[in-house]
Amino acid sequence: MTRDAKLLVSARHLTLMVISFAMLVPFYWVTRTAVTNENIYAYPPSLLPRDAHLFNFVDVWYLIPFPRYLVNSVIVSTIAVIGNVIFNAMAGYALTRQFTGRRVVLALFLSCMLIPFQATIIPAYLITARMGLLNTYLGLAFPMLSTIVCIFVFKSAFEAVPKSLVDAARIDGLTEWRIIVRVLLPLSKPAIATNVILTFIWSWNNFLWPLLITRDPNMQTLPLGLARFLSYMEDTTGALYAFAVMVLAPSILVFLMAQKEFIRGLTSGATKG
Amino acid sequence: MARPSGGWWATRRNRQFALIVCFLLPSLVVFFLYRLLPLGWNVILSFQAWSPLKPAQWIGLENYAEMWAYDDVFWVALKNTLIFIAASPLAIAAALGIALLVNSDLKGAAVYRTIVFLSYPLMAVAVGIIWRWMYDERGGIINYALRASGLTTRPIGFLQDFDWALPSVIFAEVWQVIGFYMIILLTGLQSIPPNLYEAAHIDGAPARARFFRITVPMLRPSLFLCAVVGILNSFGSFDLVYIMTNGGPGHATELLITHIYKSAFVQSKFDYAAALTVVQFGLLVILTVAANRAAGGNVGAVERD
Repeated sequence: MTRDAKLLVSARHLTLMVISFAMLVPFYWVTRTAVTNENIYAYPPSLLPRDAHLFNFVDVWYLIPFPRYLVNSVIVSTIAVIGNVIFNAMAGYALTRQFTGRRVVLALFLSCMLIPFQATIIPAYLITARMGLLNTYLGLAFPMLSTIVCIFVFKSAFEAVPKSLVDAARIDGLTEWRIIVRVLLPLSKPAIATNVILTFIWSWNNFLWPLLITRDPNMQTLPLGLARFLSYMEDTTGALYAFAVMVLAPSILVFLMAQKEFIRGLTSGATKG
Repeated sequence: MARPSGGWWATRRNRQFALIVCFLLPSLVVFFLYRLLPLGWNVILSFQAWSPLKPAQWIGLENYAEMWAYDDVFWVALKNTLIFIAASPLAIAAALGIALLVNSDLKGAAVYRTIVFLSYPLMAVAVGIIWRWMYDERGGIINYALRASGLTTRPIGFLQDFDWALPSVIFAEVWQVIGFYMIILLTGLQSIPPNLYEAAHIDGAPARARFFRITVPMLRPSLFLCAVVGILNSFGSFDLVYIMTNGGPGHATELLITHIYKSAFVQSKFDYAAALTVVQFGLLVILTVAANRAAGGNVGAVERD
């Protein structure tokens, strides 16, 4: 490598390090505040945590019904994930087959993709109220029970399975249902992973929808708990930041473990759109 | 199999069709109830006077007339939403820079990519809380850095100041979404055939020309996609704005979506909020079509070269 080329590589590293550092500062600052013992408003703030401790994380459990929010979030996310995988796999399989009206369904899905959920909140709220699903887990998960992006992820995964394999199974007398469960799904594990991760993250982070349909504190999810905690305590306590860290940790972990599947889901949805 | 012989069920084709319908039904129900029906109902509602307590009544364009003539907040929210959208090209340009830096055989590129993307999948409510704290007058690291470096002597109330509030919220939003832009652009960069660059290299085209003549035109679809995401984010940033400023101070950070939320779910003016939603959705469609034209039109121009 010439000297110039080496210099260029170093310059790139330097730029990227500065950018990475800037991107990470907010994470550091919230974590530092969460473990800070002193008055969090002390000025000048210490850049390193002095007497780091975890009291704030314990405090969260006493100051608000944290377990309740956690359980609600987990239940809603679980319903959404299970519904998504089953319904999307079914729809994705249907789209690999030829049938009358296939084009209409495809056009319908693609046009639904262009309607942002936020543009539908008022009637969506009224519809959910008519169905008697306000303040229920099903109502919280309902709009997220199927995702168009993931239907297409399943469709292309199923299409990638060799046709001879499916035909062989059919000759062996397997029913359609069995072909999906025994042949197609085991060969589409990456698609399932993508679907699980995308749905989990969307459902876990969802704020607007639960804000609209859950007035009952017993049914509220973690993002609402966090918002409620903020309005009660303002920014006055480190426990708020401990709460934020606890809520962020699962999605960061999921993302770091399954970055590839997550990005594949986003970009495949992107190119299909 | 004991099925009644004859009739509709008898043919294999029909049975298959029934099966396919059953498979599609759950998803279709979800999209009908939560996409198509609401969109249609929303339009109808915007031409009505309606509240949960009184029956609907057709009033034509009255909701829109009220918005146009009497609702000052609507105009502020519209302006802020447009500013919000107008900021996204800057973010996309920055993301393109990062994508170009990361897209090579640079050692550790994957690590940088992960770090830049890390903020994207996070809960916007928590992100809002983090950034409130970053901007805080006493405990925030931004004010501390500004004061310690002597750039300012008095702390800036980023989220309390009428001029600073909107840019501050937009900055936080960009921090969260820039990784997503980068990923889209990176996918686009990786789909450019390398022989194009080799050919340009042999022809002795300078780096600048390679960038504007090959990279940018080939990236058009990805750039268009980023633009759409940027437009959609003016809807999607509800969470962040709600937590960071709730539209304040005054209405300095009011977006159409927060105005819609407050009109419908705080003041119970569902009919009026429906009209606001129609305007916002119309804006979105117009901008998306315009972005599409810009991408498509330019691609044609390059081909003519």
